[in-house]
Amino acid sequence: MSFNRKNAYLKMMQKGLLDMMPLNLAVIPWGILCGSLAIQRDFSILEALLMPLVVYAGAVQLVVIELMHANAPLATILFTAFIISSRHFLYGLALRDKLKNLPLRWRGSLGFLLTDELFALSGDKKSYKGKLRLVYALFAGGSFYISWLIWNIIGIAAGSYLPDLTNLGLDFAIAVTFIALVIPSIVNLPLLITVCVAGVLSVIFKLLNWELGLVLASVIAMYCGYVTSRIQAKRQAVNNSKIITMDKAQTENAS
Amino acid sequence: MILITILLLACITFLTRYLFLHPKLPLRIGPKMESFLSFSAPAVLTVIWVPIIFIQDNQLDISFTNPYLIAATVAVIIAKKTNSIYFTLAASVSVFILLRVFL
Repeated sequence: MSFNRKNAYLKMMQKGLLDMMPLNLAVIPWGILCGSLAIQRDFSILEALLMPLVVYAGAVQLVVIELMHANAPLATILFTAFIISSRHFLYGLALRDKLKNLPLRWRGSLGFLLTDELFALSGDKKSYKGKLRLVYALFAGGSFYISWLIWNIIGIAAGSYLPDLTNLGLDFAIAVTFIALVIPSIVNLPLLITVCVAGVLSVIFKLLNWELGLVLASVIAMYCGYVTSRIQAKRQAVNNSKIITMDKAQTENAS
Repeated sequence: MILITILLLACITFLTRYLFLHPKLPLRIGPKMESFLSFSAPAVLTVIWVPIIFIQDNQLDISFTNPYLIAATVAVIIAKKTNSIYFTLAASVSVFILLRVFL
């Protein structure tokens, strides 16, 4: 490996870490909450550690810990986890063409690391293309995994000394992170419509206590954004052809 | 038993993330589908954050006594103006904490 190539890899590793850093910090309260909740709900230290280590999903961890503590049936626990986690199907679909032909070690590891946060950093058209961008994603996603683990461990260690954190409003940090990611990305009308529809529907479905509402609201919102972009593209095409015919008429008149 | 449950949970979260990355899956994504899927990030992230802000104790709360709503409004304005995640986080979390203390 030449010096330049090595340098480029180092740059990408660094960029991955730096881009993910604000998200790594923003999940501190959420991670500590998940770790401490497991201990407070009578999980052993090993069990509490395995949650971030292998399940690695904040919302699933939080809900499932409460369900397991309440001795819910296994089927209920697994089904609930599946519903909460089902939004990841959309991420897999969106990245399918970019990742499906990679070797298993890349597919598997990036698949494991494919959280909301990593997906939020995957919006670029060129993301995951070429080894440098894969290294970038691996370091961004990997640093988020390590951070999640550390915050959980702090929560586990402090667990029995901490008060019940569930009603302290720690979820605000998650909300504001996503606000900071979404708002600057609204650069055209289709995206604005997507976000508005998603927001309104998510609140309605949540109030109706619809478990699948999250995914349904997303899909409807995506469709609205898609249709808007199609209508815009059509209008654009009509306008362009009008201009062309006008140009033609003008040149004909002139001649 | 808890250990087995945790391992099954791990299988579920991994399955939902990995399934569509698997090359053997008989599924082709055309240009229309691709354009549709390009809206997934703003859509999914929004359906996660909006209910956290507007729903308190299972009820819609649109009032000036909802610290989530006020702090989120600050966050939206700052995110739009600065495009900085750090700045947005710092400012709105401070506002949120102050509101929690004083409201």
